[in-house]
Amino acid sequence: MSDLDYPQDLRYTAEHEWVRDQGDGVARVGITAFAQDALGDVVYVSLPSVGDTIAVGDACGEVESTKSVSDLYAPLAGEVVGVNEGLDAAPEQINTDPYGEGWMYDVKLADPDATEELLDVEAYRAQLG
Amino acid sequence: MTDAPLQTSPLHERHLALGAKMADFSGWQMPIEYPGGGVVREHTAVRERVGIFDVSHLGKASVTGQGAVEFVNSCLANDLHRIEVGKAQYTLCCTQDGGVVDDLIAYLEADDDVFLIPNAANTAEVCRLLAEAAPEGISVENRHDEFGIIAVQGHRSKDVLESLGLPTGHDYMSFVAADWQGRPVIVCRTGYTGEQGYELVPRWNDTAELWDALTEAIAPYQGLPCGLGSRDTLRTEMGYALHGHELSLEITPVQARVGWAVGWKKDTFWGKEALEAERAEKKTPLSRGLKVTGRGIPRAGCEVKDADGAVVGTVTSGTFSPTLKEGIGLALLDRAVSEGDEVVVDVRGRDVAATVVKPPFVEVQVRED
Repeated sequence: MSDLDYPQDLRYTAEHEWVRDQGDGVARVGITAFAQDALGDVVYVSLPSVGDTIAVGDACGEVESTKSVSDLYAPLAGEVVGVNEGLDAAPEQINTDPYGEGWMYDVKLADPDATEELLDVEAYRAQLG
Repeated sequence: MTDAPLQTSPLHERHLALGAKMADFSGWQMPIEYPGGGVVREHTAVRERVGIFDVSHLGKASVTGQGAVEFVNSCLANDLHRIEVGKAQYTLCCTQDGGVVDDLIAYLEADDDVFLIPNAANTAEVCRLLAEAAPEGISVENRHDEFGIIAVQGHRSKDVLESLGLPTGHDYMSFVAADWQGRPVIVCRTGYTGEQGYELVPRWNDTAELWDALTEAIAPYQGLPCGLGSRDTLRTEMGYALHGHELSLEITPVQARVGWAVGWKKDTFWGKEALEAERAEKKTPLSRGLKVTGRGIPRAGCEVKDADGAVVGTVTSGTFSPTLKEGIGLALLDRAVSEGDEVVVDVRGRDVAATVVKPPFVEVQVRED
C-alpha cells in the first residue's frame, strides 16, 4: 500500500474516510486512497441529502464497487450543506481522484473544532499497519 | 472448512510480481484483479480485445479404462453420446435427490478416457463419488496438481494463439492436443466469458512459461491479464450458472434451467428420477435474469418482491454490468413470475426496481470466427 497517497493537510478516520477543513465551520468528506483501492472500481454511490442532520457514526450512505458494498459512516456531526452530484454520472472519480473530484459531501459542523479529534496522517498511516 | 494453508497456482509468483490483489477461491489463493487493470478494465479488455486468466484452481480428473464413457454417462447428467471424441460437453454431477454436487466440463478423449474439469471446491467430492461407483477396471484419478489452466478469451484470442503457433481452427466446444516448444498443451475452444476464446491446459510445470509467452503475445492487442473478479462479471452478463449460486445441492438443474445439459432420454444418471418428477410437476422456482431499471446493484441473497410487495424469490448472483453500465442479476423466482414482469429487489432495505428478463444480458460471441 506504500504507493497510495495520504495528504498531510487532511484528517482521517479508522473507517478510511478523510476530512478537509474548508473554513467557516464546514468540512469536506471523502474516502481515502486505501479505501478506494480496497473496494476496486467504484460503480455506484449513495450520499446523504443536503439538509440532512448527521451524527458521528451514522451510516449515511453507501459506496459500491463491482465486487462489494461499504457503508459510509459520518465522521463528524452537523448538517449536510453540499453533495458531489458529479459522482452520480462518474463514480469512478472516487478511484482516480479520491481527495479531489471524488469528494463526497460537505458538513456544516455542529462543533467547529471537531475535526481536531480525528486522526492525523501519521496516526492514520500507523493504523493501516 | 479447515484451516489448511491455501493452495497456490503454478503462476502464484507471477501474480505476486504483478502486484495482483489475491483472495481465497475455494481454498486456492488466486488473483481477483491486477494493478493497471481493475474489474471494469479487465472485463472490457475481454469484451473488446483479449484477456488471459489463470484458472489453474479448476479441478482436473481422468476416468479411464474399458467402458469409461459408458460409466461416466451412467453417472453424470448430460449424454456423452451427443458428442464425439475430441469434443467437450457441459454436464452436471447430481445427487439422487437432483441436487447439484458440481457442474463441470467433460472432454471425450477416447472411448476409454474421459477428462473432467470440475470446480476447484468440488473436485475431491466428484472424484470420490465416481471412484465409489466405478466398477472393476475403471479408475478415477484426481489430477488437480498435474496441470495448469490458462483461459485466453476475447475475439483477439485467435491471433494470440496463432502467434504462439498453437492451433485455433477447431469448433466451439472441441479440443486438440498440441505441441508448444516441445511441451504438450491441450487447446480447448471453451470459456466462461461468452466471447470467442480458448482454455489451454499445459502441464503444471510448463504453465508459467506459457503464461509469460501469452503475456507478450497479448501486448500488441492491448490485452490484459484478468483476475477472477472480471471472470465473474463476464459470466454474469452471459447468465452462466456458478455453482454455489445458481446451482447447488438445493438448486437443481431444472430450477437453474440447465435442462439442456441433462440427457433426459438416457436410461440412467444420478438424480434422474427426482429430476424427471420435478420437471413434470412444474412447481419449483426458476432461475431468471433481472435488469435493474432504477439505481442500485442486486447482490446474492437480496429478496425479490412483486408489485404488491410479496416475496417471490431471491437473487443468486448480482453485479454491476461493465458493458451495460447498470445493475444485473440472476434470481430464483416463483413460477408465477415471467419475463417482462416488473419486480423490486430489496437491496439492503432499499427498493430497487428491476425487469425480469431472459439472459444473456450481452450478446454471446463464442461461435464467432
